[in-house]
Amino acid sequence: MKNDFRMQYPLWMMGFIVVLGIFLFGVNSPETTEIVNTEVEQSILVEYGLVQGFIIVGSIILYLIMLLIFYIKMRRHNTMNPTQKIPSFAIRPPEYLEQDEGMTHITRIASQKVYTFMTWSLPALAVFAMFSPLPRIYIVLSILAVALLQYVIYYREIRKHLKEEDE
Amino acid sequence: MLKNRVKELRARYGFTQSDLGTQVDVTRQTIAFIEKGEFSPSITLSLKLAKALQTNVNDLFWLEEDVDHEK
Repeated sequence: MKNDFRMQYPLWMMGFIVVLGIFLFGVNSPETTEIVNTEVEQSILVEYGLVQGFIIVGSIILYLIMLLIFYIKMRRHNTMNPTQKIPSFAIRPPEYLEQDEGMTHITRIASQKVYTFMTWSLPALAVFAMFSPLPRIYIVLSILAVALLQYVIYYREIRKHLKEEDE
Repeated sequence: MLKNRVKELRARYGFTQSDLGTQVDVTRQTIAFIEKGEFSPSITLSLKLAKALQTNVNDLFWLEEDVDHEK
């Protein structure tokens, strides 16, 4: 079960969200931003320092490497589990473990916890977005934080049951 | 709470959780959840487990409060 890629899927999603957050942070920290908006010229000049550049390029490279490893692992899982394939593009979350009624039970408990979290975090986020004087980047980072937390809640719950079961 | 003798009977017949899971068509994890009383199996699964462990559902599963009443 530990090696079941569907168990690891939330961890991968958490990783992608964190790297995306780092990238956004880097992109939104320019050393110089010059906007020219006249009748004859419209241009935007954005300059990044060494640190910001390192964050941006580093996060892109890291994201691509993670994406490649993720893809290889998913293909390996699909080859080894032809009856429980993870589709590359699916609306239904592949981390649901529902191969029998016991696994469906723990998936339901974990999903309920995530749903409970969403019912208050999304309205709170909407209020924060409406009234926050902070720049837009913080709103986007807050959305990513909610997305990250839902995977943390889901993974912790599933892991708790399967860890107890392993002992 | 639903109590059960799955672990006891499984040990008596020398089955591992995987063996029993295979017989009743569920994962080893689900057998472990049932043994711990973490969830109540469906009637279908209860009947399959009783058959695999050569007993009947009433001997395999019971409600804790029923035992309290009997005392």
